[in-house]
Amino acid sequence: MIEIWHGLTKAIELIISLDPEVLEIAGRSLRISVASTFLASLLCIPLSSLIHFHRFPGKRILINLIQTFFSIPTVAIGLFVFVLFSRAGPLGGLNLLFTPTVMVLGQMILITPILLGLTISALSGVDKAILDTARSLGASGFQTAVVVLREARFAVTAAVIMGFGRAISEVGLALMVGGNIRGFTRVITTAISLETSKGDLELSIALGIILIFIALVVNIALNRIQQR
Amino acid sequence: MSLIEVRSLYKRYGEKEALKNINIKVERGEVLAIIGPTGAGKTTLLYLLDLLEMPTSGRIYFDGMDVTQPGKVRLEARRRMAFVIQKPTVFNTTVYDNIAYGLKWRGAGKSSIRQKVDSILEMVNLSADKNRNARTLSGGEAQRVAIARALAIEPEVLLLDEPTANLDPVSTSRIEELITNVIHRYNTTIIMATHDMSQGQRLANRIGVLINGEILQTGGSIEVFTSPRNREVAKFVGVENIIDGVILKNEEGLVAIDIGGKAIEAVSDYSAGEEVCVCVRPEDITLALSPAASSARNSFTGKITRVVPVGPLTRVEIDCGFPLIALVTKRSAEELNLASAMEVYASFKATGVHIIKK
Amino acid sequence: MSLNLNYKRRGLKSKVVNSLVVIMLACLIVGMVGCAASAEAPLPPQERLRVATTTSLYDTGLWEYLEPMFEEKYNVELDIMYAGTGKALEYGRRGDVDVITVHSKAHEEQFIAEGYGVQRIPFAYNYFLIVGPAADPAGIKGMSPEEAFKKLMETENGSFVSRGDDSGTHSKEKAIWTEAGYDYEVVRNAGIWYIEAGTGMGPTLLMASEKQAYTLSDTGTFLSYKGKVDLVPIVDKGDILLNVYSAIVVNPEKMPKTKIDMANNLISFLVSPEIQGLIGNYGVREYGMQLFTPCAGAEPK
Repeated sequence: MIEIWHGLTKAIELIISLDPEVLEIAGRSLRISVASTFLASLLCIPLSSLIHFHRFPGKRILINLIQTFFSIPTVAIGLFVFVLFSRAGPLGGLNLLFTPTVMVLGQMILITPILLGLTISALSGVDKAILDTARSLGASGFQTAVVVLREARFAVTAAVIMGFGRAISEVGLALMVGGNIRGFTRVITTAISLETSKGDLELSIALGIILIFIALVVNIALNRIQQR
Repeated sequence: MSLIEVRSLYKRYGEKEALKNINIKVERGEVLAIIGPTGAGKTTLLYLLDLLEMPTSGRIYFDGMDVTQPGKVRLEARRRMAFVIQKPTVFNTTVYDNIAYGLKWRGAGKSSIRQKVDSILEMVNLSADKNRNARTLSGGEAQRVAIARALAIEPEVLLLDEPTANLDPVSTSRIEELITNVIHRYNTTIIMATHDMSQGQRLANRIGVLINGEILQTGGSIEVFTSPRNREVAKFVGVENIIDGVILKNEEGLVAIDIGGKAIEAVSDYSAGEEVCVCVRPEDITLALSPAASSARNSFTGKITRVVPVGPLTRVEIDCGFPLIALVTKRSAEELNLASAMEVYASFKATGVHIIKK
Repeated sequence: MSLNLNYKRRGLKSKVVNSLVVIMLACLIVGMVGCAASAEAPLPPQERLRVATTTSLYDTGLWEYLEPMFEEKYNVELDIMYAGTGKALEYGRRGDVDVITVHSKAHEEQFIAEGYGVQRIPFAYNYFLIVGPAADPAGIKGMSPEEAFKKLMETENGSFVSRGDDSGTHSKEKAIWTEAGYDYEVVRNAGIWYIEAGTGMGPTLLMASEKQAYTLSDTGTFLSYKGKVDLVPIVDKGDILLNVYSAIVVNPEKMPKTKIDMANNLISFLVSPEIQGLIGNYGVREYGMQLFTPCAGAEPK
């Protein structure tokens, strides 16, 4: 119990003194997860609209598949990305393994099912009357999709929040494809994992608190956007 | 050339046939009301006319062009029409933005949008609520926004699906007033669906009766109400007295019909021996306590079985050997002291009788 | 009309909260961007050299100590990957790293024979020891490693935590079991007293401490974890306990992407007299004895 207390006080010390290593790790976590969430959203929101608004054979199956992948183990994706980008692998020529870039790519793959699935769900929740009204007013397919997305913005924002949460809090993928290299690919979650296994609880607790703080701020911010 | 023409239109949903063999023409500038009971297919027909859904078979022509198949021509035709659906639907944004949507999508400039939207807001009496979120409006106000939104794009055809179905009487009369204004101001062709036949009568100059997916009769509003073509139409337009009988004789257009012992006189071309239905509108029946001297050729005595107040009128059910239903003013009912079991004389003119061939 | 009043009141509170949120977001963004600027070097894209290292070299902090020196001297970014010997060799075979530093002679020689490595250059050594609880429930203190293992197996009077990860330490452990006359597969299934951890050296020591069990560790890591674990040296004499660390450059003939020049620089760096001296002195002040003995490219003993 005493260690936890010691850990907490040391943690607060580290945070208040703006310890450079802690800040560096936190900044990197944020950069990588914000980038992956942003890029994945850019891709998935239009893709979700395409899937939702069109009829095609196998649509039901595709949506079921997407939902199945909601909780795919991060180590599984990590393994897949590792084998893909290893120098011995098909995309090895890009030399991206153990870099922040491949971590962003990996996280994008990880959160794509969530973004797709929840956005499609959000669009389905919009009254058909809105769709009919837009079409009857002469909206093109694209304009109709935009207006339905706007009507569903609350739920779509929730999907983005979920995606970000999953990205910034996962360990398996970051560890496997990033390598947890100090000063280069170490993020909050992999650092906590390493420091805890090495017995340095103070740093772990500090990082844990910061991670929760980041998650809270991003959540609140996106929440305000939702309310509008 | 009619603005819209529909030929042999069928619409099937799986096993169910929603519309059968629809053939109608809509002329430029006219107000056509499609009346029929709930579930008759009115909404389906409007969706097909607005080119939002595809028919199972048949053809649709807009301004002379075949718009049945998907493509550019169909899309352009749709853009010349506007549809107000039955459920008051507004986008989750301000009243102003709601109305401006259609214009924005057509690429109109900001100042021209402002001009149009402001003038339309005035017309529907919602200028004060310009910046309110449309979701906070009442049903009647939302429906006015929907109509304003449709008018803003200056459509050649305005389709209205039961525009006042979900509203209270005050909102209803406001909207009817608005529609009348639109008719006078813009000469827009209007196609409206309603189950309220009196609304159809008030607003339209032509009526189509849609029952069970089929158009049973089209004609001027008066014509449909007084001369229904068959039993179903008659029932729907409020002819409550439909009595089966056989024509006894025809003397220079004046016929006597045997309705099982008693005879009814009417004006018709049908010859003796024909089996017919005698239709009398309940408002055309006069009630009296004594056999008053009147020009009515049909007079029957009977006992009142029921007296029911209906708004400002009173419905009186009488047994004259055959059932007769009369609709009199509340005042008349009070003056005569109408009550159950009373003996009354019911009379109606021969000219007030409509004959349907069986 | 009352609806409008509520709008106004909500508006003010809304404004205050929104401002707070904007300020917090600004802090986050500054942190995000600011740390990026300071973390990355001011010079254009730097060359990166990747080294997969055995955990005992990492957990002692030796790499953390040497890394900045090498980076400054050669103006390169050094990426140190924490891996057990087995994992490091695998990275080498896939060409995902340029240099490996491990401590399992047999595996290293096989690696070179297969053509994945150029040459093994020993650069430091120390000894393994069997550490355990002060109470010594199995009564193996002072024995030879082989005898100690035999006694553990027979009496089952104490738990043993194995690295279980194909690392150099694990290989050494297996070798001792073999010398003691046991088939390793038998050992693995001997009973619940034999625990396969699957973790690096430091974490394995922590686990052994928690469970008050015996484990095989290199001197370096054990010393650097002195204050964190409740374990004492139990067996520290025996030829078999020699622990030699070597550096191997991944063969550019098999893995053409290897940064051969910089890798060779690292080797020269490790065996240079100056660095050898530093390696020898590492930890003396804190722990009172050498963690590593330098051996400049030659096989010790």
